[in-house]
Amino acid sequence: MADYVLEVKNVDKVYGRGETEVYALRNLSFSVKRGEFMLIVGSSGSGKSTLLNMIGLLDRPTQGKVIIDGVDTSALNDNQLSSFRNSKLGFIFQSSNLLSDLTVLENVTLPRKIQGTTQNAAEESRILLKTVGLESQMNKFANQISGGQAQRVAITRSLINKPTIVLADEPTGNLDSLSAETTVHLLKSLNRKLNQTFIIVTHDRPQFGNVDKVVTIKDGRIMQEEMEASLT
Amino acid sequence: MDYRAQIGIRFITRRKGSLIAASLAVAIAILVVQVNSVIFQGLYDAIVRDQINYRFGHVYITRQEDFITKSDFMLVNWLQRIPYVQAAAPRVDTTASVNATVNGQLIRDYSVPVIGVDPVLDKEASTMSQTVGDGQYVSFRNSAVLGAIVDRDLGYPKVGDTIKLKFKDQHGNDILRRLTIVGITSTAGSVGLDNSVIMNIDTLRDILDRPHETQSILVRLNDPSKDKDVKDLFLSAFPSNADKFKVQTIEESAETTLRGFRSGIALINLVGYFGMMSSAFAVVTIQMMQVTSKTRDIGVMRAIGSKRKDILLVFIFQGMVIGAIGAGLGTVMGVTYTAYAKETHMTFQGSLPLEVKYNWTSIAQTDIMAFALAVIASIYPAYKATRLEPVEAMRVG
Repeated sequence: MADYVLEVKNVDKVYGRGETEVYALRNLSFSVKRGEFMLIVGSSGSGKSTLLNMIGLLDRPTQGKVIIDGVDTSALNDNQLSSFRNSKLGFIFQSSNLLSDLTVLENVTLPRKIQGTTQNAAEESRILLKTVGLESQMNKFANQISGGQAQRVAITRSLINKPTIVLADEPTGNLDSLSAETTVHLLKSLNRKLNQTFIIVTHDRPQFGNVDKVVTIKDGRIMQEEMEASLT
Repeated sequence: MDYRAQIGIRFITRRKGSLIAASLAVAIAILVVQVNSVIFQGLYDAIVRDQINYRFGHVYITRQEDFITKSDFMLVNWLQRIPYVQAAAPRVDTTASVNATVNGQLIRDYSVPVIGVDPVLDKEASTMSQTVGDGQYVSFRNSAVLGAIVDRDLGYPKVGDTIKLKFKDQHGNDILRRLTIVGITSTAGSVGLDNSVIMNIDTLRDILDRPHETQSILVRLNDPSKDKDVKDLFLSAFPSNADKFKVQTIEESAETTLRGFRSGIALINLVGYFGMMSSAFAVVTIQMMQVTSKTRDIGVMRAIGSKRKDILLVFIFQGMVIGAIGAGLGTVMGVTYTAYAKETHMTFQGSLPLEVKYNWTSIAQTDIMAFALAVIASIYPAYKATRLEPVEAMRVG
């Protein structure tokens, strides 16, 4: 039996009611195996970010289910969703979304503090920051580092709780080409090294090269689902 | 440190403008209450002090609707055996018409209060004798001390001049008596006996044909907190049903004077507390601005696992920081003002010295109230922050 960490089943997302009703997502179903590196691609307004919000439990589907690590998340209340996000999901946003009033190290350890498991958190954060080459920057405030560095810090923050799935929404969208290339390389190497599932939303498919799976969204529907075999 | 406290503290301490504005709002509210307290409580206490010193003592003994017929010598001696009693002195009050002749000319004819005092005992039980600026206190039988206001109204007769007073004795007969001015009193704010004539109690008793009678006994205590004990002791020794004594503590005897003033203080305090409410509104406004400026951060925190109550606590901690800094600053400002008032012997309208005290209980109460208000004022902005949905919040900024 396949080891699925994510199952999206018949998900609809509808905004508005009656005549103003708009389907952002329509009857989406797919699944992701543990350790896969998957892209969700599509043009602007196709619904890929909405889908990522559903998977990231930041928004609830109007209909359908999102099952993560075997847990049907539609049954969880607000507090349970928060805890679930904290322990099972890591987020990387287009703009790094670090808390500017915290240092780099404090930003990275924040998910652990939220979880309440602060033992060794600082040491583990240092190791991760060293992995991404930012050990020397860890005592700087988040607004004192460059955009590329901030994105690497955000990647580190997303990994500190060893999540089941790392979700990234246009992680290279705000970066120059060199920083973008570095970020993509980092994400892929971490995927291989940590065997964690990465789901990346991007409109720049070629930038990521070979990946395990690509889901193409258009007008809220899956237009194409390509597997590793067809991608290599 | 709890991460919510850490973030709350960072949020506010790294926005120095907001922190200063909010803390100052709290501090100024405390200062207003403190200044009100120094001035109006100081004025109230000054009036109480002067009522004790000049008129009533700590305990004031009279007889219901009549003069005290028991020997004042016996009563004073009895009172002075109580350990809390420092001194006691009898007094007789009446009124007289003044026909003052200064340099051979009739100056004025008007009614003045006359107070008969025991020259020796009164100096111990009252500080009235210390208010004589020119001359000396009442001594021999036909001597009189003029209050500063009486002296002014009579055209400033001097020590050594005489005044002629017209009394009515207890039978209604007019009695004329010439007295020699031996001193002129002057009290700050004219709260002493500046509108009265003070004379020897025995002379006045003779004039009124009330030998050995006393109208009141003022009792000075070395421990003012024992006033009720002294009152109870006296009434148990001299039951009111037999002797019809009326014994009042200073709060009771000066009630007429103090009642209106207390209402005034309550009103002024109310103004201070309204100031505090205004500061709470300032805190609400500043905290709302904080929530707005931190909307994106709130969204991020929610996304990575913070619960709504965690966001609530972040802003409550912010309110606590504002309250603590504001209360600290307000206390420093308030205590500094109090110290200034005390050191400079601040007076009311340039004459009445305020009775300035460091009221630490009141300061602590005001601080706690200001701190609590800052925290309470943070609840609504904090609640608003918790209502932000992560996706919507992260779109901001």
